[in-house]
Amino acid sequence: MKKTITSIVLMSLCAALSFTIVLQLKSVSSFKNQVQNTQVMRAEQLQSELTKETKRKDELYQQLLKHNDELAKFREEAAQSSDYASFLNKQLEEAELLAGLTDVEGTGVIITMRDSPLYVSGSAGQEDLFIIHDEDLLKVVNELRDAGAEAISINDERLLSTSEMRCAGSTVSVNNNRYAAPYIIKAIGSPENLEYALRMPGGVSDVLARWGIELAIEQKDKLIIKAYTGVIQYKYATAGGDK
Amino acid sequence: MWIWPIIGSLLGITVGIVAQFQIPLEYSKYVAMAILAGLDSIFGGAAAGLAKKFEVKTFVLGFVFNIALAAFLVYMGDKLNIDLSIAVIIVFGSRLFKNFTKIRKLLLNFNRKEDII
Repeated sequence: MKKTITSIVLMSLCAALSFTIVLQLKSVSSFKNQVQNTQVMRAEQLQSELTKETKRKDELYQQLLKHNDELAKFREEAAQSSDYASFLNKQLEEAELLAGLTDVEGTGVIITMRDSPLYVSGSAGQEDLFIIHDEDLLKVVNELRDAGAEAISINDERLLSTSEMRCAGSTVSVNNNRYAAPYIIKAIGSPENLEYALRMPGGVSDVLARWGIELAIEQKDKLIIKAYTGVIQYKYATAGGDK
Repeated sequence: MWIWPIIGSLLGITVGIVAQFQIPLEYSKYVAMAILAGLDSIFGGAAAGLAKKFEVKTFVLGFVFNIALAAFLVYMGDKLNIDLSIAVIIVFGSRLFKNFTKIRKLLLNFNRKEDII
């Protein structure tokens, strides 16, 4: 009798234990699979979506350029067919000039701004004071406009009325493109006025020089500023207002 | 006498493979500790059996108690924010090794009268 009990007990306990072991093995392995899958899946998903969107953006941009070419051709032909059309065409060209959609050339200045070389590695945490911020770019551009600049570009990004110059980490974002120092600012206007406005005592050049940020200003007789190369879309503003 | 544990294990394994049941994630740690304690008890029983000192009552009580204690310790450790699973692992792990050594000695000395190893 004792032996039977022993046998039964042994058998059931071993059965229970091995049953639990198998269950645990199954649960753990399936859980690990799930976790790995979701993590990898998410990264892969995001990656593939990113590639897809970038490709789409490029394709749309190519399409845009093609349409622009066609449009220009139509305009040329129309301009030659009648006086009224050529008058309208001229108005359109002027409007595009003002809007920043065409290359422009004229006298002006080229300004190069570099980060301060004064930065000493001992003063950790102070790097912020020695690199060029968006406020510095804004000051320079503001001064240029006040001095009569008619077209301005930063690192070949044409500044429109809707262009931003904003800090993005350690870079500056202009027209949604990121740029780092050195910043090359081109402005078309009277070269002397533009340079003197910046070099005013107590003006922008002095303030920046305090931190060692130097403005290298070069006057030019012929300067070409490129057109704006992005997409313009007015979602809120429409032609109207008081007539 | 040795056939019963083997039959029981095979039975448990088959049922485990067939079952669609999964251990919920939150209990996984406790079940693992319980398994460790159970293994230690089984091997302790095997060692006792080889030494002809097996007693069912001790075995069963030891089995159940150790499992309960192991799971309870880990659970308490979670509540107290102290990792008591380490204690469980070390203790039962070392007991496992001790039992293995005992079993080995007993097996090798099975046919001899004196201790050779």
